[in-house]
Amino acid sequence: MKFRSVMIDAGPMREFANIVTTISKLSKECVLRIAEDKLYFIVSDDNNAPAPPILWCEIPQTMFFSEYQMVGLDDDHKDIYLGFGAANLARSLVTLKSAKSLKMKLTKKQCPCLTLEIEMPSSTSQQTRHVTHDIPVVVIPRKMWADFHEPKTPEPDISIELPPLKQLRTTIDRMRTMASEVVLRASAEGRLTLQIKTDMAKVSTRFKDLRVEAFGGPIDHSDSETETQVNEDTSRVCYCRVDTKKLSIFLSADQISHNRTVCSIVHKRLVILCLQTEENVKLQCFISGIVY
Amino acid sequence: MKCHVPGANVKVLGRTVHALARFGDELYLESLPDCILLRTLNAAESAYAMVKFNKSFFSYFNYNYFSTEDNEGLKCKISMKSALNTFKSPTHMDKQVENLEIKLDPESCKLIFQLKCKHGIVKTHYISILDCKAMQAVYTKDLVPNRITSPQRILSEALGNFQSSDDQVTLEATTQSLVLRNYLDTNLDLLKIIRTQISLKPAEFDSYTIGEETTITFTLKEFKALLAFAEALNLPLQLHFETTGRPAVFIVHNGTTFEAHFVLATSKADNATQATSTQNTTRTKRKDSSVQDSARKKPHLATDISKCLDEDSHLFNFIDIPENNSINVENNGPFKSSVNGAANQLEIENNNLNDIMDCDNIPGSPTSKTMIKSVFKRCFESTFDPRAIHGVVLAENSDSE
Repeated sequence: MKFRSVMIDAGPMREFANIVTTISKLSKECVLRIAEDKLYFIVSDDNNAPAPPILWCEIPQTMFFSEYQMVGLDDDHKDIYLGFGAANLARSLVTLKSAKSLKMKLTKKQCPCLTLEIEMPSSTSQQTRHVTHDIPVVVIPRKMWADFHEPKTPEPDISIELPPLKQLRTTIDRMRTMASEVVLRASAEGRLTLQIKTDMAKVSTRFKDLRVEAFGGPIDHSDSETETQVNEDTSRVCYCRVDTKKLSIFLSADQISHNRTVCSIVHKRLVILCLQTEENVKLQCFISGIVY
Repeated sequence: MKCHVPGANVKVLGRTVHALARFGDELYLESLPDCILLRTLNAAESAYAMVKFNKSFFSYFNYNYFSTEDNEGLKCKISMKSALNTFKSPTHMDKQVENLEIKLDPESCKLIFQLKCKHGIVKTHYISILDCKAMQAVYTKDLVPNRITSPQRILSEALGNFQSSDDQVTLEATTQSLVLRNYLDTNLDLLKIIRTQISLKPAEFDSYTIGEETTITFTLKEFKALLAFAEALNLPLQLHFETTGRPAVFIVHNGTTFEAHFVLATSKADNATQATSTQNTTRTKRKDSSVQDSARKKPHLATDISKCLDEDSHLFNFIDIPENNSINVENNGPFKSSVNGAANQLEIENNNLNDIMDCDNIPGSPTSKTMIKSVFKRCFESTFDPRAIHGVVLAENSDSE
C-alpha cells in the first residue's frame, strides 16, 4: 500500500481544510477511502458503527492534487481505507489557509500514520518552514470494507433545491433551541417548510419558489396525521421528521463554497442533503426520519 | 524602599506579573540599592523566572526610604494572586494609570501598591507579606555554547502548529536547522496523538550560534508564557542553552531599564519521537517525579546512579525545605561559582541525590495529572517488577487499624 499526494494551489487547500473541518464537526471518527480517481470521507454513526454511513463525501483528486500516486491493497482491491480521528486531521490542517504546499502521504512510523508536510511561508523573511504532522491511522482490513460502501437509498419522492445555507442555518439554529425535532415538508410546487412544535408554540418557516429537481409522483397520506393547508394538494407534498441537531450540523457546511445544495426526501423515512462544489466535490448527508 | 513607576512602565510591570503568574504561585520581591528583582519558581521546581528592573525604570527610586540600617536589601514573598489583582488588565493600564507607587517598609507586614489613576482616582492595594526571605537559582547564561536570538513572533507562530493538549516540546538544535517537536509521553497512547515537527531555518533568526548540537525538552506552558511576554513588549527573545539536563535560559531585555530571565529545566527526550520507536524507556523527567524516581532507584542504586546523574536536571540544587514550608534558600559557597567543571557538577548532584535518598520527609506529591497517571500506569507495564518497590513505603497507613 502506498499513497503520496501533493497540493499546491491555495484555493483547493482552503477548500480541503474546510471540508475536513465540517466533517470533524459531524463526527469524532471518520474513514478516508483512497481510490485511484477520488478521495472519499465516510462517516458512520458514532453509536452503532456497522451501520450505513451518515456522511459520504467524494473529492475528485485531479481538481485538488497536482501529484497523486497510490497503490492499493492488491490488484483486485485497489483502494486503501484508513480510519482516524477527524478532529486530529482538522486541527493539523488549520494552518493550511496560509500554506504554500501540502504533501500528504501514508507512512509507517511506529504505527501507520497519515503524514502531512506543510510548507509555510515565514512572516519575517523569504524563508519557508516545514511543519510535519503525523496523524496515527488505522488501516481498515478488507473484510470490513463492506461497512463503508456507498449507502443504497430508496428513490427519493422529491428533490428540491435548498435556499442559501446561511439563511437556512440561522433559522434551524433558532429552532434548535426550542425543539429537538423538526419537520421538513417539501411540495412539488417548490415550497419548503420547516416546522417545529413545542407545548407553547408552533413555529414554521416557509421558503417558496424553489426549484424542484424531481418529483416521484403522488404521495400516499392515507395512514398519516398530516395537517393540510387549505388549498394544498396533499398528494404533491411529502415530509420527514428529523433531528434538529443533525440538520444543524450539516448546515455548518456552508463554510465550503458550494454552488448548490439539494434536499431529497423519502417520504417520512429519510432526508438526503447533497452539497456540490465547483470542484465537483459531493458531500452527502443522510438523516433518517423519526417515526412514531 | 519606595519607588514610583511612570504610567507607561506600569504596563510593562503588569505584563511581567502576568508572565510570572504563569510560572509560579508566589512572587518574591527583592529591593537592592540600584534595582528591584521579581522572582518566582513553579511548584515542580522546573521553571524559574527573574525580572530585574533597573533604577532607570522608575521615575523615583529610594532604596533607603525607611532608613534601615542594614544594607542587605529588603526581601519579601507575596502570593501571586494578590499581585495579579493589582495588575488586572495590563493592556489598558498605561491609559488609566498615571503613576504607581510601591512601598516596602521593613517594619510592616504589608507591601503597598498605590495606583494613581486618571480623574484623581487612587487605588491602594495592601498586600500581605508571607515571608521575608528571598530565593535564587543558579544557572549559567554567559558561557554556554548555544545561543539563538529570535524575533518574538517566529517561535510563537511555530508553536501555533502544536495541539493544545501538548505539554512539552523538544528542541533539536543543529547548525543547519532548529527542529521543534511535541514531546510524547511514553505512557500515552501513541495511536491517539498527533506527532508534530517544525523545522526552522537559521536564516529566520536574528542570530544563530550552535556550538554543540543538542536536543532539549522542556515544558510548553511556561515557554508559551514567556513568548507571550516577549511578544507583548515587542522585544526579541534570546535563548541560551547547553545540553540535555542543563537549564535553558530565555532572556528578554530592552537594554536599559529591565531584563527578564526565564529558566526552564530540560530533560532528555527519550526515543519515542518521530525518529525511532520504543515503548518502555525509562524517563527521568521534571523534578516533580523525584518521589517516583527515588523509590524506583533505591534497590539498585549503584548501577543506576550514574545514569540518573546524567539524566537528572538539577536546576535548583540547593533548596532545602524547612518544616514551615517556606523556601529557605542558602547560597552555599561552592555552588556560587555556577560554572563548575563537569566533575564538580557531578559531585554536587551526587550530594544532592543522597540528600533526597536520606530524606525522611518525602517531597510533595506530583501535581501534574500525567504524572499521577504514570505512577499508576507503571504497575501495568510488562516490565513491572513488584520486587523493585518492595519495602518502600511512600505513604503509610493513616489509620493504625
